[in-house]
Amino acid sequence: MPPGDASDAGRLGAPLRAAMRALALAENAVLVALLALLVVVTGGQIVLRQLDIAVTWADPLARLLVLWIGVFGAVAASRDNQHIAIDALSRFLPPRLQLVAGALIGLFASGVCAVLAYEAARFVQFEHEGHTAALGGTPAWVLALVLPLGFALIALRYAIFCGTRVRALVAGRGEA
Amino acid sequence: MIVVSLALLLMALVGAPLFAVIAASALAGFARSGIDLSAAVIEFHRIAETPVLVAIPLFTFAGYMLGESGAPQRVVRLTQAFLGWLPGGLAIVAIATCALFTAFTGASGVTIIAVGALLYPAFQYAGYPERFSLGLITSAGSLGVLFAPSLPLILYGIVAQQLGVGRPVSIEQLFAAGLLPGLLMLVMLGAWSMWRNRGLRVPLSAFSWAEAARAVRESAWEIPLPVVVLGGIYGGYFAVSEAAAVTVIYVLVVEVLVLREIPLARLPDIMRRSMVLVGAVLAILGMALASTNYLIDAEVPAKLFDAVRSHISSPLTFLLVLNAFLLVLGMILDIFSATVIMIPLILPIAIGYGIDPLHLGIVFLANMQIGYFTPPVGMNLFIASHRFGTPVLDLCRAAVPFFFILLAAVLIITYWPALSLALVR
Repeated sequence: MPPGDASDAGRLGAPLRAAMRALALAENAVLVALLALLVVVTGGQIVLRQLDIAVTWADPLARLLVLWIGVFGAVAASRDNQHIAIDALSRFLPPRLQLVAGALIGLFASGVCAVLAYEAARFVQFEHEGHTAALGGTPAWVLALVLPLGFALIALRYAIFCGTRVRALVAGRGEA
Repeated sequence: MIVVSLALLLMALVGAPLFAVIAASALAGFARSGIDLSAAVIEFHRIAETPVLVAIPLFTFAGYMLGESGAPQRVVRLTQAFLGWLPGGLAIVAIATCALFTAFTGASGVTIIAVGALLYPAFQYAGYPERFSLGLITSAGSLGVLFAPSLPLILYGIVAQQLGVGRPVSIEQLFAAGLLPGLLMLVMLGAWSMWRNRGLRVPLSAFSWAEAARAVRESAWEIPLPVVVLGGIYGGYFAVSEAAAVTVIYVLVVEVLVLREIPLARLPDIMRRSMVLVGAVLAILGMALASTNYLIDAEVPAKLFDAVRSHISSPLTFLLVLNAFLLVLGMILDIFSATVIMIPLILPIAIGYGIDPLHLGIVFLANMQIGYFTPPVGMNLFIASHRFGTPVLDLCRAAVPFFFILLAAVLIITYWPALSLALVR
């Protein structure tokens, strides 16, 4: 378990905590599997090219895998609050103000990602209506599903991030 | 619009994830121009249409594996065997090792944690002044950004290509452009370290053929890696993404199967941790694709250029102002966000002044590299403080001389374009 999970989920109720842990495990498994597949595809392609065997779908597949890895990596980063951010100033805030800032950040990021998830769902719908075919005849909308799913998962994580800080504020903690 | 911008700036300053801030500004821009908001997602989806991006997860994974293996110890021993006899030899060892390591792992604090922690006790043992050792390790932690196959170089190339500035900016050319400026930084730091410790008459160790042979034999599996990867890229045998695939497979085979320093069971966790960094970088890159698209649509770079040109006429003055600006920016923003946010604005202006995009990239990244340890808020100061249990203020003092030396190097790089462009074919 990544450390960020324990500290955040620790402030949630038990059933929700178990659900979030299962979700995190599933996300990690997908992330690791995607990277393993990318290594196999890109490595295999080099070997095959030496044998003069051209695989036309290998390049688009590798690029698609990068998108999926990016999205699932971003989900994992949001779980551990490891997204790139400016911490030069927040570092110097007193603990209670850090909680307030954390709540604001969570609310903001969660809101933005919810909008992105909604727009991504619409994008998938356009692709569905357009009957665009992508990789090896797979409909493009299936391959794009990762976007609404990913943004929704990130929005969920930042909502929790916000919620735990609001609860800590209400409970009068702030010296943590 | 000003209210929105100020609110976003505030969110960024209190520590909101930057990808969300960039996304919000792109969404706000699209909304204002009456463009469908799903454009933001469509632009993000372009990550899947950029072939060279394949290199990013592969190199990062390979770098994390190297960091987890015994490779850092072996590289230190190897450089020590060959350079340790010089006066101030250990400092040279540190500089060379850090640069090599950062080039392969990307400047993400991994170097300070993996290599710095190894070198710091050695510095104490060899009798170097405390302040010198800390300053050197903190500043050397970001050396190597200009060497292939560093992540920031690749990212700059991708962003510059997306902008379509009229001149092709290939990653291979960038790798060649970074070589001499990167070496200049190493030489200047090394020369100063030797001069500073000239009183330390005890060299680390006498040169011994036996020890050199032992160190070479011990690193026999790692030595071919930079040769194959850098030789392959610089020699034009591999595309960057192929070099990345070769690197991953080579490192996997060596560290997991041959040397067995990384148990198979630990591999998934290393994969996950490296991909968290990749996710964070690709998230800001994807959102920046959207916001850049909006900026170009709204002709912001062109307007900015007109505004700048009405105050600054010569390219030299522009570069000087740019240096100062980037120095401040580098303290606050990490190298990845700075690249995806600022290059779309800066590059068109620089081209307007007739500056070569390759040269600009090297100047930009060299500036950002110093920003990593610019007192008082450079990120590596905090990482080193955390790692070595030293107050940040002490580290700031320790970093000052190193800061001025690398600043001098950056100024040379800035005003001597031929240094960056000489090796570009």
